[in-house]
Amino acid sequence: MLLSFESVRKSYGSIRALDGLSFGVARDEIVAVLGPNGAGKTTALDIALGLRRPDAGTVRLFGRDPRSVAARRRLGATPQESGFPDVLRVGEVVEFAAAHFGRSPAQIAEVLTAFGMDELAQRRAGTLSGGQSRRLALALAFAGNPDLAVLDEPTTGLDVESRRRLWDVVRRASEGRAILFSTHNLEEAEAMASRVVVIDRGRVLFDGGARELRERFGVRRISYVGEPLERRTLGFAATAVYAGDRTVVATNDTDAYVRALVTSGTPFSELEIAPASLEEAFLSITGVSK
Amino acid sequence: MTSFALARAHSRIALLDLFRSPSYVVPTVVFPAMFFALFDVQFARTQAAIANEATLAFVVWAIVGVAVYQFGVGIAQERGRPWERYQRTLPVSTAVRFAARIVSAIVFGALAAACVALVARFSTPIDLTALQWLQASLYALAGSVPFVLFGLTIGYWTPARAAVPIATACNLLLAYAGGLWMPPQMLPPVVAKLSPFLPTRQFADLLWSVPGGGFPAHAIAGLALYTLAFAILATAGYRRDERTRYA
Repeated sequence: MLLSFESVRKSYGSIRALDGLSFGVARDEIVAVLGPNGAGKTTALDIALGLRRPDAGTVRLFGRDPRSVAARRRLGATPQESGFPDVLRVGEVVEFAAAHFGRSPAQIAEVLTAFGMDELAQRRAGTLSGGQSRRLALALAFAGNPDLAVLDEPTTGLDVESRRRLWDVVRRASEGRAILFSTHNLEEAEAMASRVVVIDRGRVLFDGGARELRERFGVRRISYVGEPLERRTLGFAATAVYAGDRTVVATNDTDAYVRALVTSGTPFSELEIAPASLEEAFLSITGVSK
Repeated sequence: MTSFALARAHSRIALLDLFRSPSYVVPTVVFPAMFFALFDVQFARTQAAIANEATLAFVVWAIVGVAVYQFGVGIAQERGRPWERYQRTLPVSTAVRFAARIVSAIVFGALAAACVALVARFSTPIDLTALQWLQASLYALAGSVPFVLFGLTIGYWTPARAAVPIATACNLLLAYAGGLWMPPQMLPPVVAKLSPFLPTRQFADLLWSVPGGGFPAHAIAGLALYTLAFAILATAGYRRDERTRYA
């Protein structure tokens, strides 16, 4: 294991951010940490990077305490948002990061090329567009040729096309190393990760492949014209959206819902049942714990 | 990577950042030399002794400005930023990063002081010898310690937005009341009474002892006390920041 969390707890005052979180990242894995805002993703990544200290439990980064300098020698991380000093040039920022890992000028040039920043090397970081800033952030995570790169919401705020291009770059850069990234975008997790760790309220709800995530919870979507059933009366997990005159329900027990619908006497028509998207599956899973 | 190479990389990036930021360069490097030329050269050009004293007073002000802006404003503005957070994920110790900050402060302090000295050299009868300059430089290095700690206190206790006005107000008031802009004898009586207790005045007394002779015991004692006080405040502020952001 390059990174391991064992029963990690962390509270901020009375707010419990991590509540017995356990998961690991092994060599060559691409792991997505998926969860809604406030699930504990940022806290988990902060602890992995040595930025915060767990209250209880064990965290090991390359077998060491992530807060020790030695543990971070084979680690790469992205800055949050686009937090570069405005007046520094792109090339200077990448050189600075690479200097911590003893990279040669040729290797630095390779990183700039890999992230499509050759022509931006002389540009000041403060003048970059949103997508260019993200690319620079990623270049920094990979500048030191790390064994593990930790990417904090690497594509948040980008349009679909920029996202895709960014991930193409990351996929190429990921050759021979492990990646841990956080996201609240399910398609991204499904498309990019070899393993998805779903966390909510500081606990792991699911840890497995994206396909397994969908299969295991078997979430399907029921839609019909009519009103949704009272959630309290159901006795199983279901999230319903009522829009116009149509109800769309995501649940892992469609049979039970249909039975309940019929016996409730609620008028309905145009009933359809279909496999749910990962988004809906996720909503339904996290809905379980709420 | 060796600590030395890392300290060099961090100093380099800090210097590039600062040199390209007019809001830092103007008050720290330009103001002392400019104020000296505008307001003090007219008095200083009359006598070598006055020229020596006025020049050293502005050297003090130049160094105080660098300490207060670089450590005060710099840290107050940086500590909450994503870039600071990012740097903490790099394999580099806090000590190396702090050493780099000191190096860049010394570069700026020397530059700001050199600008004052250059104006004095060409417009006043200043007659400090090379040896006296060397002695003054060493005193300046030692005397700047409480101001670095004062800067750190501002840096860790004031919010980013308040740092510039607070640092500027402290810098100007302490310069004025410490007798850095005009001889202490010319200060209004109340201020003149207060002046010897201020760290800026004590720092000036320390440097004035280079051409003036004598052992500035009260200045050294005062600066030592300020060093202790600001070391305590700065450490408490640093710990508080670590606790809230990185615990």
